[in-house]
Amino acid sequence: MSLLEVDSIDAYYGESHILRDLSLTVEEGEICALLGRNGAGKTTTLRSISGAKPPTVEEGTVQFKGDDITGMHADDVAMQGISLVPEERRVFANLTVAENLEIADVSRNASNTWRRRLTSTGQSMSTDQVYDDFPRLRERKTQIAGTLSGGEQQMLAIARALKQSTDLLLLDEPYEGLAPQIVDDVESAIERINDQGVTILLVEQNAAAAINIADRAYVVDQGATVFRGSADELRADEQTREQYLGV
Amino acid sequence: MSFHIEVITILLNGLQQGAIYVLLAVGLSIILGTLKFVNFAHGALYLIGTYAGLLLALDVNLTSGLLAEWGYGQLGLGLGYIPALFLVPVVVFVVGLAMERLVVEPFKNRPDTDQILVTFGLAIIVQELFRAMFGSGSLPFSQPTWAQGAPSVPFLSAIPISQWRYYVIGITAVLVLIVYLLVEYTDFGLVVRAGTRDPEMVELLGIRLSRPYLLVFGIGAALAGVAGVVGGPLNPVNPTIGNEILVPAFLTVVIGGVGSIAGAVLGGTLFGITQAILVSTYSAWAQVGLYAIAAIVLLLRPQGLLGEEEVAP
Repeated sequence: MSLLEVDSIDAYYGESHILRDLSLTVEEGEICALLGRNGAGKTTTLRSISGAKPPTVEEGTVQFKGDDITGMHADDVAMQGISLVPEERRVFANLTVAENLEIADVSRNASNTWRRRLTSTGQSMSTDQVYDDFPRLRERKTQIAGTLSGGEQQMLAIARALKQSTDLLLLDEPYEGLAPQIVDDVESAIERINDQGVTILLVEQNAAAAINIADRAYVVDQGATVFRGSADELRADEQTREQYLGV
Repeated sequence: MSFHIEVITILLNGLQQGAIYVLLAVGLSIILGTLKFVNFAHGALYLIGTYAGLLLALDVNLTSGLLAEWGYGQLGLGLGYIPALFLVPVVVFVVGLAMERLVVEPFKNRPDTDQILVTFGLAIIVQELFRAMFGSGSLPFSQPTWAQGAPSVPFLSAIPISQWRYYVIGITAVLVLIVYLLVEYTDFGLVVRAGTRDPEMVELLGIRLSRPYLLVFGIGAALAGVAGVVGGPLNPVNPTIGNEILVPAFLTVVIGGVGSIAGAVLGGTLFGITQAILVSTYSAWAQVGLYAIAAIVLLLRPQGLLGEEEVAP
């Protein structure tokens, strides 16, 4: 059984049909890349998995650890162990760095106090572990998150996701708008997290950078899968890369 | 009365009137900032607070309205002012919870205009219901005898301000401080502040916002209820008081900055003092003064005095 199985889903934003019969699987322990042009449906796929609405998934199923999570409320999906680092990072700009991390603990506290069902088996990192992984964040923990640099905000968004109980980390364009040096930092952070046992589904426009660290890759175009295979196979498949990725 | 006594009297009166605005504006502001819900029925909660306070604290003799016609002219539990001060917020908190689930929740994702229409309609329904039940005339809701007259402490005893007005200022200060601490230093507050900025992201972190939202609305309602019960004995009590106080309360939120507790305190105090100064100098201009201040503030700082410029994405 794969960790995540997206089985021929059709997703809509209101009237617009965005995902058409899209399928993908993510195996436990791997880094899986989801690539494609701007508007191909990558973000919609991640939002469909994480329960963010819109879109609405009208056909097909999303299964996580064998459980059907299609159409589940976003906060319930998070409690199953899926963490999303969304496009544009979306750190809480009005809170401090420390508060941005603290808020990830609230749901776990809620599982104790309100008996919310927390089915994730993933380890959530302690604040200390997170700070050890991202020393810049420790230095800036009392700073308001909105004043961090782009790279620091990306680190914070990833750190926040890791503070949840995470089995599967969904990363949406983590390299977007970052200087090449910072891309390297984020890349090594992603690999380090993966080494610690967290499965990763990585969405990127920067296909070259993503293929670098991915085990397997999917390419989507117009809401449908047009390539699936190992990272090496995608590297070798010049036609797919030229036609759908422009590299 | 010597000049400095007169000045202090005006300032204290202003602080007290401002305190009522602050109580209403803090609730309105956190509801608007967090739930993004425009509550034109906030004055109705004030109205309910006043009448609940009156009926809990005193024995009331109704002379008109349906209740009097039906033979329930002798109303009121006569529990006294102190029990009323504790019970009213509880009553209005519960009213607030019901209102959140029945009115706010279904209209939360609708345009502001829909929210304004439905809540303003609700406010008028509540007002007319109270008019039908209790009559349109003003009911006697006096300050308690133990709180009339100046406090018998040195200096303050020379100032013609009743003890009740000091209590209003004190109660407001304590309640606003409690709300502030709740928002700044608890998990609940953390979720509320984050949700003000980006509610979807909060839910993606595994937190269901409907419960904190319910609580925010309940707290805002309870504060309006307190405003009603402490403000009741200082003003005529009739069914129109809720909608009359709605506009200054909203202006307070707007000049203070939506979502800012400190802004609501600053805005309310500014309004209260301005109004007190105008009432004792050019009383015909007292209401105009509020609008003038609001217009000037909004021209210079459209986001309000302490509001953040940025809005949620």
